[in-house]
Amino acid sequence: MTIINQEKCTGCGTCIPYCPLEAIKLEGKKAVVDQDICPNCYVCVRNKVCPFNAIEKPEISNFIGQFQHIISDPVETTEQTGVPGRGTEESKTNDVTGRVKKGKVGICIDMGRPGIGCRLRDVEKVAMAVTAAGLKLEGEDTTPLAMLMEDNSKGKIKEEYLDTNVLSIIIEGKCPMETFPEIIKALKKVEKEIDTVFSLGVMVRVDENGYSPVLEHIEKLGLPKPYRGKVNVGLGRPLVDE
Amino acid sequence: MMTHSLHRSGTLESLKGDYVWFMYQAKGINDTNIKEKAEEFIAAAELVGSENWGDVKTGPIVSYPKEYIKQNIGNKSRLRGVFTSRKQVTEFLSIIKQKNLGISVVISGLLDEVLQACKEAGVTPHTINYSLGIWGKKELLPDDDILSITTMCGHHMISPNLVKKLVLDVKKGKITPEKAAWKLATFCPCGIFNQVRAEKLIEELKNKS
Repeated sequence: MTIINQEKCTGCGTCIPYCPLEAIKLEGKKAVVDQDICPNCYVCVRNKVCPFNAIEKPEISNFIGQFQHIISDPVETTEQTGVPGRGTEESKTNDVTGRVKKGKVGICIDMGRPGIGCRLRDVEKVAMAVTAAGLKLEGEDTTPLAMLMEDNSKGKIKEEYLDTNVLSIIIEGKCPMETFPEIIKALKKVEKEIDTVFSLGVMVRVDENGYSPVLEHIEKLGLPKPYRGKVNVGLGRPLVDE
Repeated sequence: MMTHSLHRSGTLESLKGDYVWFMYQAKGINDTNIKEKAEEFIAAAELVGSENWGDVKTGPIVSYPKEYIKQNIGNKSRLRGVFTSRKQVTEFLSIIKQKNLGISVVISGLLDEVLQACKEAGVTPHTINYSLGIWGKKELLPDDDILSITTMCGHHMISPNLVKKLVLDVKKGKITPEKAAWKLATFCPCGIFNQVRAEKLIEELKNKS
């Protein structure tokens, strides 16, 4: 958790614009952190934004508090996946892990992004919608979200975590190419039921020209042709060509 | 997918000056002796003029001396940085291909440009993570001008209100666009914030009412 030492705080308000989720505000003549909103990303602490050193980070003792911090602070590493950031490798190492093979589609739903944050309740809504449509979510060894699940096969998060706010978290899974349109239809429906945003990424194996049949699906579904992407250029070894 | 460099906002013209490079080892596959390989990546990036780079475990070169970042590289380090032209991407990929380091390399940016760079460098795309944009309650988002800057730190360590404050400071003459862009870059621990592009965007915002 992040708190402001009320004895040190002068109420100058310098810290307020630095918080990505506007969790710091003035109450009376002192700054306070809204604990319900603060995702413990430590932007304010790490960058020493308080000229009077009044921002403090007491030790977090409970699991969900630690999870919230690790998932919101890219400097931390998620122990289970061994990956800093939000603790997931997505396509970045697919040339050596072969996580998404030819004929399959990897889906990355980056909840709360860009910059809005999200409650795990909304994460659950989306996760349940896409699993019902045929997405198989990644497990604990590859994605941190799985640690919060009561039933990963259904996208059901444990009840006690649902009100937790995070800066962003990735729902990650795979499906056969033919199931991809169903996933998109489910997302088109559930996007109207959430109080946040998500950024959507679709990961596929491509031919030597960078082409994949998923582009035809995207066109048929009436989605704009993607113009930005992350290209894994196949230099990892040993190379997985499946 | 989206991840932390995939969904950068902005006009096509502006995005033509913005590419992110990654060196990425995989847990249990090729994640040993990383320091030596990371130094090769850094040398290549420096040679072609990467404007910003860093290791998320230590920080970016806009905040720390390069030698300090290099000294702290370990097997859990993640090296990333930015280029401002396709030419740099092509040259970087050519060098890394020749070094044959066996570590995954990813370039994020406009697909037409990145795929052309792959062709020019003689590397073969293996996997693409396509951005399908932002979904959901988009009315919560700041305007496009602000998003063009904040999305350059994909972990969202840069708040829209900080960008607005700095633009205001620039308008008041308290700080130059260059210094404002540099300050914003220090908030991105990965070193993928493109302060060169940010300076241009802030300059444009300065002239907007």
